[in-house]
Amino acid sequence: MPFLPVITGLGFITSIGHDRATVGRNLRELRHGFEPVEFLGNPNLPVKVAGTVKGFSFPSPNWRDWRWPDNFSVDRELIRGLAPHGVYAVCALQQALAEAGLDAAQLGDGTTGLFCASAGSPFMLGSFLEQMKETRGERGNPMGIVSSIAGTLNFNLAAHYKISGAVCGFVSACASSSHALGYAMDEIRLGRQSRMLVIGAEDMTAESIVSFSSLRALSNNPDPATASRPFDRRRDGFVGTGGAVALVVEEAGLARRRGARIQAELIGWGQAGDGHSVAASHPEGAGLREAMRRTLADAQANAAQVGYVNAHATSTPAGDRSEALALKAIFTDQGARPRVSSTKALTGHGLSLAGAMEAAFCTLAIDEAFIPGAAHLAEPDPVCAGLDLPRTSLDAAPGLVLNNSSGFGGSNVCHLLRGPA
Amino acid sequence: MKATVHQAPPATDQADRIKHLPAEARAAFQRFQADRDPAALDPVIFAILADFIPRSPATPLAELPGETRLIDDLGFDSLAITEVVFFTEDLFGISITNEEIIQVRSLADLQRFIHAKVGARPAR
Repeated sequence: MPFLPVITGLGFITSIGHDRATVGRNLRELRHGFEPVEFLGNPNLPVKVAGTVKGFSFPSPNWRDWRWPDNFSVDRELIRGLAPHGVYAVCALQQALAEAGLDAAQLGDGTTGLFCASAGSPFMLGSFLEQMKETRGERGNPMGIVSSIAGTLNFNLAAHYKISGAVCGFVSACASSSHALGYAMDEIRLGRQSRMLVIGAEDMTAESIVSFSSLRALSNNPDPATASRPFDRRRDGFVGTGGAVALVVEEAGLARRRGARIQAELIGWGQAGDGHSVAASHPEGAGLREAMRRTLADAQANAAQVGYVNAHATSTPAGDRSEALALKAIFTDQGARPRVSSTKALTGHGLSLAGAMEAAFCTLAIDEAFIPGAAHLAEPDPVCAGLDLPRTSLDAAPGLVLNNSSGFGGSNVCHLLRGPA
Repeated sequence: MKATVHQAPPATDQADRIKHLPAEARAAFQRFQADRDPAALDPVIFAILADFIPRSPATPLAELPGETRLIDDLGFDSLAITEVVFFTEDLFGISITNEEIIQVRSLADLQRFIHAKVGARPAR
């Protein structure tokens, strides 16, 4: 029997909660994590809402000024090489390991790997480069590089947790942590590793979020209750967020032997490129459609078996439209009618964090038998006709669950999950 | 060896630079700035080391024997030592070469080295 990857631990540092119970409750009750914010001390900026990460504070690039909730511990030795999203990641990983019943000392024997995804830290990189220019290269934080460039998560966490299995970072923008999870599944399916730690994370800073204002990708709606409304006719862009989510993925046999509780099985994944635009999605969602088709084929499943789709939909006019068309091609046109929602209506768009965060939400939905509703949806875009977008969450086991992600350059990645056999 | 001495930064910048250090170390630094009392240097040096040490030691650094080694006994690594060097250079307006810092192994080595470097500066 081939090796089956299963999920045995989740950890959350998100705009809608820093523990499983709170996140699950907010998903069920459709409580969002948005607050009014003033980025860069500029009241004239049209971007006025973000998915804030409560209880964490990073007022300067100096780690001595950083604060996090008392129930988490971040070692001094570790923090000096971290970016803000590295702190989130450490806190998320602590939860995931505890939930999986694993001790940090069990991770270093070569059977555990670590795949991470973040865009790096523009906040830390900006500060590092500013100092370099000010001192004309004569001064620099020795940790400037490892705390800022893409890869900062895997550099720091692999060293700290003494990971001697596969270690890699993934960079495909908003599909990054979905790639990390997909390739982690492959490591297990190929028998190369028996356990993979998968982490997606992003800073929640002006440097990471306001940058997207230049692309006209952010919502200018100042109302936290409606700024993020995927698939709604009046959507006007995404709301940014940061945080970290960690997943412990194990080979099913190992999980059973050590008595770990299996929350969900990862039964397929697939990816496809749009081959279309550096920033915009294909107008008909061609790549995402093919990624979904490949994922179903990988799992030897059919569209009618899928009960819930956690859509990528970020609340941008073009992106949501593309995804709606792709979903209709895969499901509606085949007579299948899964429930569809984008939990970004509640969390905001976590960029590299999004795929792992939403895979963890899918796991919660399976494990706790509910389907998150399509929050903030008042007037569905007519392009969504034929899709089942429930306005409230449903108390029902979702069956097979599909998790969609799309990133810049038209990278599209999907995972298919189901409850444990 | 070429003895490059940086221009000492203004005193207000220096106060800002050490604002995160314990009050005792800040007071000692002020004493050193006022009358260049060499005895005031050690509390500053220990506070800087304590600030950058990767793992806090069970015993305060000032109470450890002078032969305590920075790397082997206290767990400093090359990155943390580089941070100590940069911070010390900026605080005292001195320059420390890689060749010099490699010779510094123990707490006493570091104290002697900083005292010599700082003391070599002409009093203002």
